Amino acid sequence: MRPRLDRDVLRMAETLRRVLSRGSAVGTGEDTAEVGPPLLLLGAPGSGKTALLFAAALEAAGEGRGPVLFLTRRPLQSLPRGIGGALDPLRLQKIRFQYPPSTGELLRLLCSAHEAPGPAPSLLLLDGLEEYLAKDPGPQEAAYLAALLLDTVAYFSHRRGPNRDCGLMVALQTQEEGDNGNALQLALLQRYFPAQCWLQPDAPGPGECRIRACLEPSGLGPRTEWCVTFQPDGEMKITRWPTQACDPSSDKSSSSGDQP
Amino acid sequence: MAVTLPAVVEELLSEMAAAVRETARIPDEHLSSLKFIFGSSAIQALDLVDRQSITLISSPSGRHIYQVLGSSGKTYTCMASCHYCSCPAFAFSVLRKSESLLCKHLLAVYLSQVMRTCQQLSVSDKQLTDMLLIEKKQEA
Ligand SMILES: [Zn+2]
Repeated sequence: MRPRLDRDVLRMAETLRRVLSRGSAVGTGEDTAEVGPPLLLLGAPGSGKTALLFAAALEAAGEGRGPVLFLTRRPLQSLPRGIGGALDPLRLQKIRFQYPPSTGELLRLLCSAHEAPGPAPSLLLLDGLEEYLAKDPGPQEAAYLAALLLDTVAYFSHRRGPNRDCGLMVALQTQEEGDNGNALQLALLQRYFPAQCWLQPDAPGPGECRIRACLEPSGLGPRTEWCVTFQPDGEMKITRWPTQACDPSSDKSSSSGDQP
Repeated sequence: MAVTLPAVVEELLSEMAAAVRETARIPDEHLSSLKFIFGSSAIQALDLVDRQSITLISSPSGRHIYQVLGSSGKTYTCMASCHYCSCPAFAFSVLRKSESLLCKHLLAVYLSQVMRTCQQLSVSDKQLTDMLLIEKKQEA
């Protein structure tokens, strides 16, 4: 029952990093069987959270390590930006979408995950965590949901066997600054999700949309910055951000980006 | 604080486990360290272990959780894979105030693993689902 953290932390959300580094075409020397620690994807509405989750799902589905489970409140109305041309139906088939309509249904799904037949997923994704957190949930309700997500992937990992852990990525919409209830809730969620990826829309060029993604592997690895661009033709391009380290003083709108 | 224990606590627990394997008892200096780190919770947790109040519940699926019978007679659910206990002290002192690392129930779960004194109970997959969902029922 030792929580699995240390051996995972430096792997820092491998799946997302693979998605993020796909554009810069790094070698395939890395051990693809490794998953990173639970990752929280944070950003304002329209900052590309769903597109990145979906890209991570397609990436994991293409690795042949097993099915991918994608949980979201309602079906996607259209393919996320940037996916368009690159969609491989064989990969899509490996992604199982489920749409728990309420918090109660999501909890039931997670609590009964061990009753579901079939191979255990290699990656669990949840889009729109904020929709499952009540208006003002007590810390115990938010912690219970976070802990259940972790317990579910721990169980999937157990069922998959040694060195075939199941990864976890959860997207949360961030709110206005200065909201105390949300600050407490975010601090609490960060305890359960050691790695975080902050998304910030950046000044876009004409006809394109640019997102700055800052990946923080819970203090034990270097913080890295990426540039996600959705081009007019619908393609998503990911490159390293020109400057290496995030400079907190230069990004005015993400004061919450640093851990206490 | 993260959902994992600080390295110093992990180290202490693994030293205690080694001592228990070799001598079948916990050395006094380990007990003092435990009390230094966790205060009165350490005594209460050891008391829960002594009274065999910790049960590891598993189903044929391989999923498992812990249940701890508190001193008040109420049963609390602890997750097996990360820090979570359904008791009010966990919600208040650990989550809201960040005053403590663990509640006495979670500490008792760790200690019972170290001292190998867990009760074991097998239930059906369906029963385990209901036990994990216990939170909902308490609210309803
Ligand atoms: Zn407790």
